Amino acid sequence: MAEKRTALQDAGKRLFRRGSRGARAVARRKRLLGYLAILGPGMITANAGNDAGGIATFASVGAEHGYRLLWILIPITISLGLVQEMCARMGAVTGKGLADLIRERFGVRWTALVMLALLIANGGVTVSEFVGIAAATELFGIPRFISVPIAAISIWWLIVKGSYKRVERVFLLMTLVFVGYVISAFLARPEWGTVAVELVRPRFSLDRAYLFTVVAIVGTTISPYMQVYVQSSVVEKGVTAEEYRRTRIDVWVGTVFAILIVFFIVVSTAATLHKHGIQINSAADAARALRPLAGNYAEALFGVGLFGASMLAAGVLPLATAYSVSEALGFEKGVSRSFREAPTFIGIFTFLVAVGAAIAVIPNLPLIKVLLVTQVINGLLLPVVLFAILRLINNRELMGAYVNGPVYNIGAWLTAIIVTSLSLLLVLVTLFPNLFGR
Amino acid sequence: MLYLSQVLSRPIRDLEGDRVATVKDVIVRLGEEDHPPLIGLVARYRRRDFFVSRWRVTEFNEHGVRLNSDILDLRPFVRRDGEVLLARNVLDKQLIDVDGKRVVRVNDVQMIQAAGEWRITGADVSLQGLWRRLAPAGLIGTRKPVEVIDWSNVGYVATGEATVRLKSSSDKLARLHPVEIARLAEALSYHHGSEVVESLDDETAAETLEEMPAERQARILGDMDEERAADILEWMSPDEAADVLGDLPEHKAEELLGLMEDEEQAEVAELLPYEDDTAGGLMTTEFVTLPRELTVGEALARLREMAETPNMIYYLYVVEGEGSWQLSGVIALRSLILADPAVPLEEVMRSKFQKARPDEPAKGVAQRIAEYNLLALPVVDESGDILGIITVDDAMEILLPKDWRQRLPRLFG
Repeated sequence: MAEKRTALQDAGKRLFRRGSRGARAVARRKRLLGYLAILGPGMITANAGNDAGGIATFASVGAEHGYRLLWILIPITISLGLVQEMCARMGAVTGKGLADLIRERFGVRWTALVMLALLIANGGVTVSEFVGIAAATELFGIPRFISVPIAAISIWWLIVKGSYKRVERVFLLMTLVFVGYVISAFLARPEWGTVAVELVRPRFSLDRAYLFTVVAIVGTTISPYMQVYVQSSVVEKGVTAEEYRRTRIDVWVGTVFAILIVFFIVVSTAATLHKHGIQINSAADAARALRPLAGNYAEALFGVGLFGASMLAAGVLPLATAYSVSEALGFEKGVSRSFREAPTFIGIFTFLVAVGAAIAVIPNLPLIKVLLVTQVINGLLLPVVLFAILRLINNRELMGAYVNGPVYNIGAWLTAIIVTSLSLLLVLVTLFPNLFGR
Repeated sequence: MLYLSQVLSRPIRDLEGDRVATVKDVIVRLGEEDHPPLIGLVARYRRRDFFVSRWRVTEFNEHGVRLNSDILDLRPFVRRDGEVLLARNVLDKQLIDVDGKRVVRVNDVQMIQAAGEWRITGADVSLQGLWRRLAPAGLIGTRKPVEVIDWSNVGYVATGEATVRLKSSSDKLARLHPVEIARLAEALSYHHGSEVVESLDDETAAETLEEMPAERQARILGDMDEERAADILEWMSPDEAADVLGDLPEHKAEELLGLMEDEEQAEVAELLPYEDDTAGGLMTTEFVTLPRELTVGEALARLREMAETPNMIYYLYVVEGEGSWQLSGVIALRSLILADPAVPLEEVMRSKFQKARPDEPAKGVAQRIAEYNLLALPVVDESGDILGIITVDDAMEILLPKDWRQRLPRLFG
């Protein structure tokens, strides 16, 4: 052993310089990979917002209001970016999920309230995903009472078996169809001049239909589940406060990209459907906006995209909700994480899938209407989550030097206040239709 | 028996029964004891927090607190070392249940009076504990059994404040297998996970780190005090240590390497130049060489005398002579034990054996180990000198899908 030691020592000394050079090379390679790997949570989450409900909402916006609501996209990009960034930052600095932080800082009662809001909002969105599945399969002539139960059972089975990750990519690929809206928007030859003007000219109205649409837009873009999701994926990626810069870029790039897709959906539906006065009542109507691109294949194309997006979210959403709720309430699973050991967890997941599927098979359900209503529910519950986020992000004890700056705070509080007042207005106008003298 | 939630926000009354303040928090002193004693309360009166010693308390129950005097010391409350505020530091936080080997969230804290003293006995982690706090008092009709984790099984409390450390927590955690500690630490946020690792002794910390993903190892060691990190690195097997250093930024890696003891430093430094995905990157330098002229008996004696035997001694590597690295054969420990002690090694050894070059792709080498059912494979340079060995568990890590690796027990440290 003694010989070995000295020999090794010599070799080691000799190699010491080479060694540290090797370490350098390895570290650099890692950094590059790290960049690619980290370019993710913000991008994925923001674009997950363009699910069944999102597509339906924006297609309706374009068909019903033409270019008139385009101006909302700029403030909503800023708001979405701000909110997503705050959650990503919290994830990086604390290493904890949003539900955990709410529980640890606000105690049980607040947690229960926020989780209830999240459960209702996500339940609504889950319903919308199954409605999306129904709408998509009906485009291919498969009735929903066949397609929806099959979809629900296979989603449940795939997730419980743990093989969902493999199928996920297929669904993700299917959603690429929606990029078709971008091409379609150009092919439809919209009046770009009008588009540019409407993009920067705000219009306000206290009309119920108008408020309803605006709240739906807010609800589908800044959905509560997205905040929870972006924060936990940042935590899971293991992003630290020091590496946070890249995540910030990722969040903003993702946000702008997602809204850009939304912009083209609105423009293409406005240029094709609104021009001919067609309202969106079914998925087939929404598919028509893809005609300039796909001609008679528009319905098939739209169906594929809608199916992929809905299946993707119908699996992930109930799962993520079950995680949040059971984590916040402390039903953590043991070292060996098995579904059987976590009855509450599996219970919430099953409940959401079952309810979502059950509502979606109700005969003669006005599908597109349901999609819009679920987004409005999202919008109404958003303030609860937003205020919790704002209180957490400004907690110096928690965030240290990473609390919000003044500009961020103004933007974020404005978002929260505007969203809250819009929601309240919508409720008021719905309860008292003659409130504003109409 | 009393629950923390039943006393929080309850009134504190003086001798006459006048309400003088409310209970804001309950203070315990954590020490060596399994069930730490309550030492007082934080009382709140008109936005001011002050300390009430347990000696002043005559009554302590769900109706509130009664004091034995009318005099209150209104100096603002300051937490002292070793003191833990139950509502602030424990309630709603996560803790490690050493007995159940899991991370749970504290829904309530259970306290019991024994021999005139209040002590905390356990953490309520059941749904009942949640309902107790959610529903208004009196509505908790159900007498379902609660699930309480005995405080003596609480290994670690993931609280916000670094100053609140359970003194005995590392002893309790050390009862677990490093694989289990690693899983539990990973279930916590990375700050708390690092704290758990830091609380362990150097050897356990090293073993625990080895069970974690490489990036997490690098982060924990990178954030640690440099001296401590170097001490832990010394305990890690050289190949694992080299991997971690490769994941750290270069200045940090150099600094930590510089702080390590000469011997361990040399072993690790030798491994650093190799790329991650080559045989060189996969190998470890812990192995036993024996000169070929030794007899079997002398070889066994030498094995016994070794101060630090490497984990992998199932294969012994026979070299040309004392101090040489020229590899001439391999002997399995089994053949060595079964052979006649008087026979020289060169007669027992196998001179035809599988070997790898340091720049060979790691995957191919790993597959070879699996194909030939080897426990280890020597890595040899152009001149025939042995550089290191690749053990079967490092090979498995390459071959198995990622989520399987965590379930894989380690055969050779």
